[in-house]
Amino acid sequence: MSSIELDSVSKRFGSVEVISELSLTIHSGEFIAFLGPSGCGKSTLLRMIAGLETVNGGEIRIGGERVDHLPPGARGVAMVFQHYALYPHMTVFDNLAFGLKNIGTPHDEIARRIEEAARILEIGHLLQRKPGQLSGGQRQRVAIGRALVKDPKAYLFDEPLSNLDAALRVRTRVELARLHQQTRATTIFVTHDQVEAMTLASRIVVMNARKVEQVGTPMEIYGRPATEFVARFVGSPAMNFLPVTVRDRTGLATAVLGDGSIIDTDVPVDLLSAGGELRVGVRAEAIHVRPDGAIPGKVEVVERLGDRTHLHIRLKDGSTLVAEDTGVSQVQPGDTVPLAVEGATAHLFDDAGLAYHARQ
Amino acid sequence: MTDVTLSPGKAVAAVKRPTGASIGPRWTNALFIAPYMVFYLALLVYPLFKGIWMSMLESDMFDDTSKFTGLANYYRLFNDKIFIGTIWNTIFFVLMTVPVFVAIGLLLALALNRSDRTSASLRAIFFGTSVLSVTIVTIIWKMMYMPGNGAIASVMRLFGLEPIAFITTASLALPAIAVTTIWWIIGLPMMLFLAALQQIPGELYEAAALDNASRWRSFWSITLPSIRRTMLVVVIYEIVAQFQLFGQAQLLTQGGPNNASRPIVLFIYEQGFRSWNLGYAAAASEVLFLIMAVAALAQFFASRKRVEG
Amino acid sequence: MAASEHIVGRGIGNKLILLSVVLVAVIWMLPIAWTLLLSLKPNSELMISTASAFHPPYTLKNYTDIFQSSGVFRWLWNSAVVSVGVTAGILILSSLAGYGFARAEFKGRDIIFVLVLLGLAVPEQAVIIARHQMFSDLKMHNTYPAIILPGLSSAFGVFLMTQYFKAIPKDIDEAAMLDNASRFKIFWKVLLPLTVPAQATLGIFSFLGAWNDYLWPLISATKPEMFTITVGMASTQTNFAQSEGLGFLMAQAIFAGLPVFIVYLFFQKYIVRAVAGAAIN
Repeated sequence: MSSIELDSVSKRFGSVEVISELSLTIHSGEFIAFLGPSGCGKSTLLRMIAGLETVNGGEIRIGGERVDHLPPGARGVAMVFQHYALYPHMTVFDNLAFGLKNIGTPHDEIARRIEEAARILEIGHLLQRKPGQLSGGQRQRVAIGRALVKDPKAYLFDEPLSNLDAALRVRTRVELARLHQQTRATTIFVTHDQVEAMTLASRIVVMNARKVEQVGTPMEIYGRPATEFVARFVGSPAMNFLPVTVRDRTGLATAVLGDGSIIDTDVPVDLLSAGGELRVGVRAEAIHVRPDGAIPGKVEVVERLGDRTHLHIRLKDGSTLVAEDTGVSQVQPGDTVPLAVEGATAHLFDDAGLAYHARQ
Repeated sequence: MTDVTLSPGKAVAAVKRPTGASIGPRWTNALFIAPYMVFYLALLVYPLFKGIWMSMLESDMFDDTSKFTGLANYYRLFNDKIFIGTIWNTIFFVLMTVPVFVAIGLLLALALNRSDRTSASLRAIFFGTSVLSVTIVTIIWKMMYMPGNGAIASVMRLFGLEPIAFITTASLALPAIAVTTIWWIIGLPMMLFLAALQQIPGELYEAAALDNASRWRSFWSITLPSIRRTMLVVVIYEIVAQFQLFGQAQLLTQGGPNNASRPIVLFIYEQGFRSWNLGYAAAASEVLFLIMAVAALAQFFASRKRVEG
Repeated sequence: MAASEHIVGRGIGNKLILLSVVLVAVIWMLPIAWTLLLSLKPNSELMISTASAFHPPYTLKNYTDIFQSSGVFRWLWNSAVVSVGVTAGILILSSLAGYGFARAEFKGRDIIFVLVLLGLAVPEQAVIIARHQMFSDLKMHNTYPAIILPGLSSAFGVFLMTQYFKAIPKDIDEAAMLDNASRFKIFWKVLLPLTVPAQATLGIFSFLGAWNDYLWPLISATKPEMFTITVGMASTQTNFAQSEGLGFLMAQAIFAGLPVFIVYLFFQKYIVRAVAGAAIN
């Protein structure tokens, strides 16, 4: 397995720069997710690593070797495509064997590798079928198998789960996690689904509008989002944002909401730049209905999820937020409830979208 | 997925031959189109320009030389009553056949747009004649038109009528060719219309039926608007195709009587390969090319305006 | 298939329409039936009156005569060689070029493609004089290559195959690239097998077109032994009804029509699909 280094790579389509001077190091054996909305450039970046898009600037190295001028086949990576891209007229066996034959692998070695991959992926009984005779899930396995037999330096996944139904997607996710734990293969996984990124990746690269917003472990991304975009994109329901003014509370910031109620954050006040509007960001699970709650709010919608309940609440100044209550919540739409906010997990965001967190 | 131990196995020489394809432009990729381009340039582009050049030459049969005469051939053409006559004949023929191809083609398509076996067989009959060659078609129709022994003459005699000599009567020769042509290739417009009809979602008709639309109304407000594009394709295709009338006229009437059924292509053929006036024939062929291009373009723009407006 | 055939209350109307179409179809068949009848009659009887075709005696003598005399077999063979040659040539050239235009990038490709498309607008008549001159200069008339080669310059097949290759998902090529396949291997092993339906369509069209082609073989092949069946049948029409006899001529027409008719019956599904596909594009 190999590391992958991107050294200020750029990509232009015509005059539009879609990736600009992006640098990133993916360590050997790491499972990295490129996470972002469609059109953010995450697939383009993956395809640049694979050699399916030209690189207009910078360097890409795989295992220390510069590859950005090599054809896709010479880079030693394997890719699993969104629509699987199996060769429709070849049997599953031939699909797996095609790449090995092309580099002159001996027949017995091809057979051995395919047998092994088929055993791991439980597709041994499908080897003589054509892709058209397979279910979506089976095709997915064959596509993974085609990558597996090549024993590549890195695996590249381009939204591989987006064509599966919900149940199969969850199952395949777990299988991919297990497969990675056992192979320890360098893996890049492109997805727009934050749950896939959170559950699978050792590190997540959050991308938006053709640039990297944040690189970090799933809990860093969730707990200390670098920007407002990351905070909104990761986590469900999305983080609440309320406009505030800030008071100094012995070095820490106290946020004052529009209705005058306060949230005591742990964000050091000296980090904040003077001037400009600020917003406080609080996740739903940090806002509870408590008798001693200081912020009154009117419940508009109650969403029951079984283990917990999301309350959509309007504050006195008209701003809205989502709070979390227990699964057996007695709250009804129309109730006015007292809310308590855990200020320790709150973040502040300036008008440029940059986040300020409590000291670690 | 259990027990994953990818055994190292025999080491495969890492990419023995890095022959894999690359993305992006490569001049070697042009090799895929090169073979066709050889034929395209040698047998289409070159003769097209050579033809234009030839149309400005006057060739001398006897010492096999030719001299440049500019537009003299064209000047001569437009003073040649026979040539002007062939233009009118061809236009008349197009006007006789194209509307019929559209109307009957569409009627047949509407009637046979069903999935039962009878309709399938009927479609096969109407389309089947199109696969015959022009020579077979003209043999068959000579036997229909012959004044003495022809089928039509026999039927007319049966009813006590005097048989008509279709292909030797000036006013009937071209219509007779038109009938033969329609019989021959009505299947193509029919098939094109059928394909278009099958693209119309059935829900539209079901919705119309629920809205109490009659069959006639459904036709006007659903079917016709949906096949406008195909209609255009059929009209342009048939104009271009029928302007090239040749075999039927050459074999049925030899252009007669008295040039009454001589189309442009027959004129080109006779000037070029019977009288060997190559320059003159080349000039006539350029005129045909121009007329066809103008007719197709005019029709295209006219219909587009109507579709958009 | 039919959009409204199942709508309640339209059964009787549909039946009437179908009945009238059946009538038209019968009329449509009459010329062929007439020809068939004549071909089964002795020439001597037809000399007196063709009305005798409606009653026996019938005979197959006209057909057996074809086997003994006439150049029909030679012409059929020529047509077969020419049609197979044109079809094979078009399939090879169009597949390569279609892949090139759809998938293999090189500088200037898109401009060249537009120029090739313009070639679709050039009718055969506009180039036929010059073509004839070219083959004369090369002293190639009355050879198979002279009859076959001009047909290979048609842009129709290139256009059709380009459209077809473009419709194949690009990730298939990309998977093959990552599998270290060369450009030619991607074309030959991965994409070409996926174009079989288009090959069938184009093949049948090219075959029928070449078989029925009249103008070019007529001017290029002037020796009777190089006639295609289409040109040959034309040459027998000129001494129509006199020397060889009506019944014999009709038998030749039926016999000459059989090969294409058999092709038609076998490949009807493909032909229909081909026409339909051409219409939708």
